[in-house]
Amino acid sequence: MSNIFGKSLTSWAFRRSQEAKPKNGIRGRLNIWAWFILLIGIVYFFLPLIATFEFSLRMVKDRYTFEAYRVAFTDPKFFLNFGYSVLWALLTIFFSTLLVVPTAYWVHWKLPKARPFVEFVTLMPFVVPAVVLTFGLIRLYGRPPIVLLGSPILLIAGYIVLSLPYMFRAVDTGLRAIDVRTLTEAALSLGAGWGTILTQVIFPNLRVAILSGVFLTFAIVMGEFTFASLLAWPAFGPYMEEIGSMRAYTPQALSVVSFLLTWASIGLLQWIGRGRGQEQVAGAH
Amino acid sequence: MAFLEINNVSKKFGATEAVSDFNLHVEKGELVSFLGPSGCGKTTTLRMVAGFESPTSGRIVMNGEDITEMPPNQRDVGMVFQSYALFPNMTVADNIGFGLKVMKKSPDEIKQRVKEMLDLINMPEYTHRYPYQLSGGQQQRVALARALALRPDVLLLDEPLSALDAKIRVSLRAEIRSIQQKLGITAIYVTHDQEEALSLSDRVVVMNKGQMEQVGTPFEIYNFPTTTFVANFVGTLNAAEAEVLDPAKGLISVDGVQFISADDDLKTKRKGDKVRMSIRPERFSFASEGKKANVVDCAIENITFLGSVVRIQVRIGETNFNMDTFNNPFLELPKIGDRTQVTCSQNAVLILEE
Ligand SMILES: Nc1ncnc2c1ncn2[C@@H]1O[C@H](COP(=O)(O)OP(=O)(O)OP(=O)(O)O)[C@@H](O)[C@H]1O
Ligand SMILES: [Mg+2]
Repeated sequence: MSNIFGKSLTSWAFRRSQEAKPKNGIRGRLNIWAWFILLIGIVYFFLPLIATFEFSLRMVKDRYTFEAYRVAFTDPKFFLNFGYSVLWALLTIFFSTLLVVPTAYWVHWKLPKARPFVEFVTLMPFVVPAVVLTFGLIRLYGRPPIVLLGSPILLIAGYIVLSLPYMFRAVDTGLRAIDVRTLTEAALSLGAGWGTILTQVIFPNLRVAILSGVFLTFAIVMGEFTFASLLAWPAFGPYMEEIGSMRAYTPQALSVVSFLLTWASIGLLQWIGRGRGQEQVAGAH
Repeated sequence: MAFLEINNVSKKFGATEAVSDFNLHVEKGELVSFLGPSGCGKTTTLRMVAGFESPTSGRIVMNGEDITEMPPNQRDVGMVFQSYALFPNMTVADNIGFGLKVMKKSPDEIKQRVKEMLDLINMPEYTHRYPYQLSGGQQQRVALARALALRPDVLLLDEPLSALDAKIRVSLRAEIRSIQQKLGITAIYVTHDQEEALSLSDRVVVMNKGQMEQVGTPFEIYNFPTTTFVANFVGTLNAAEAEVLDPAKGLISVDGVQFISADDDLKTKRKGDKVRMSIRPERFSFASEGKKANVVDCAIENITFLGSVVRIQVRIGETNFNMDTFNNPFLELPKIGDRTQVTCSQNAVLILEE
């Protein structure tokens, strides 16, 4: 589950970042290879999905039905856990944006030399496994002087750390596409303060970039298992795990549903980013 | 007291001294340009006036108030950037109205002023366009309108035309000058283009390596450069080592060829002193009958056709000088290798400080 969310989105983000580079004009033979490789990719990617989907339809013997989906959706715990995950995701997005955008902006404007360092720090969740991170948080905040174990702050904080590489990278790319320094100075010379500059100049020009970070974060939090499970908060990830160990068909149905949700997120992102490309400078996603 | 005073201002970035001991008094309504090669500290000086850099030492006084430590968003200064720096997410009208909105002016007042500004830059029909829908020249005009909308005390322009092509550059600089004069606004204009500086300024500050080389009207700067650098940077330089033969008569010798100079600086020199002399290319002409002063023998080394002007390189003694004459298709030019005589008046022979 978390795999499906994670993988499809990272591969999408990767694809988008590749597109930003200029294409070379070699055609012909290379084209056939390109199609061949694309085909392999599609088969590799879609075959398990189709198999999952097919399996999820076979709950009733000898017949294809959506029974598994009906069962999944009628479980009140599904909505509860899904609702919690959406809540966690929204909180994470809110605070992560609040943390990352001003930080990345400040780094671009005042401390460009510190950029590699900040970038390195944001890579932490790739270097430190989630389990280690969670136990670290539990050890540190599970006893005085600061006890946060009972509150969702710890969970959100953990999720923010998880979202950092995606959020920072997205916002960083967006900032690179606009001339942060000159725009800031122009606004300053017109009398604007920091609040005005961030809300009227920087945020609107980073809209698409922030959105791409936001959707990645959303997808990651929705499928996350380790943090929610170890910190004992209701969430979609642990729920999937629980169902998976008890039932056969419903988890498959949920996988397909969550996959469609991811796609819907991406579609929404593409749609929102569309048509404003010129204004928002290509590459600002 | 002058309207804008930059007093003994220096700026160090670590070990490099970007600006040293800069002194300038700008009168109200005056347009002063900073002219100099890349890296000479023009932008840094301008940014200190804008408040984006703070001087290492010295004071900046505007309208009687010391603004040296005042943050940029509290200064009454408008700024125009080389890269236009329009806000990409806002229309032309919103860009121009941005500062007014920050000042919490009423929507009616903003609308009125934006319209005024659009009329001023002759773009009344572009209200709802986005910056990416405008040409570079139009964007820069909008940027100018945006900077002027708040009616700032001082307008700062940092190479506003460098990103534009030659034709637009010439027409837009005339437009900037006429708007500046119409509003009577005090302005500092940074450029590395001497023609631009000479054509639109009341006064020019020539800078080199963080130092002021010379301050004067375009006429003074061009015709009477006081240093080798200025003579070299503004216009084409003909400079040569000369030996003083008779300071009282203004007699000097370049490789044994004698010139008479009317430059007063010569009076302070003594016989046998080495000086640098300079003559502008357009001050030379072919010697005709009857001319007496500064008629010298020369050989034609090279002839370059530059359109309205023909540049002829002549060798006088051991030194090559450039000589410019207006193009005249009915006048026969000498050939390369010809020997002839050229002349210049006594006040064309300048003595430069090192
Ligand atoms: N923020 C900075 N940090 C360090 N050095 C700087 C900084 N800004 C400018 N300098 C240095 O100060 C000197 C003057 O720079 P400045 O930008 O004022 O030159 P300029 O006259 O505007 O040149 P150009 O015509 O290329 O714009 C240069 O040597 C430059 O490298
Ligand atoms: Mg500069």
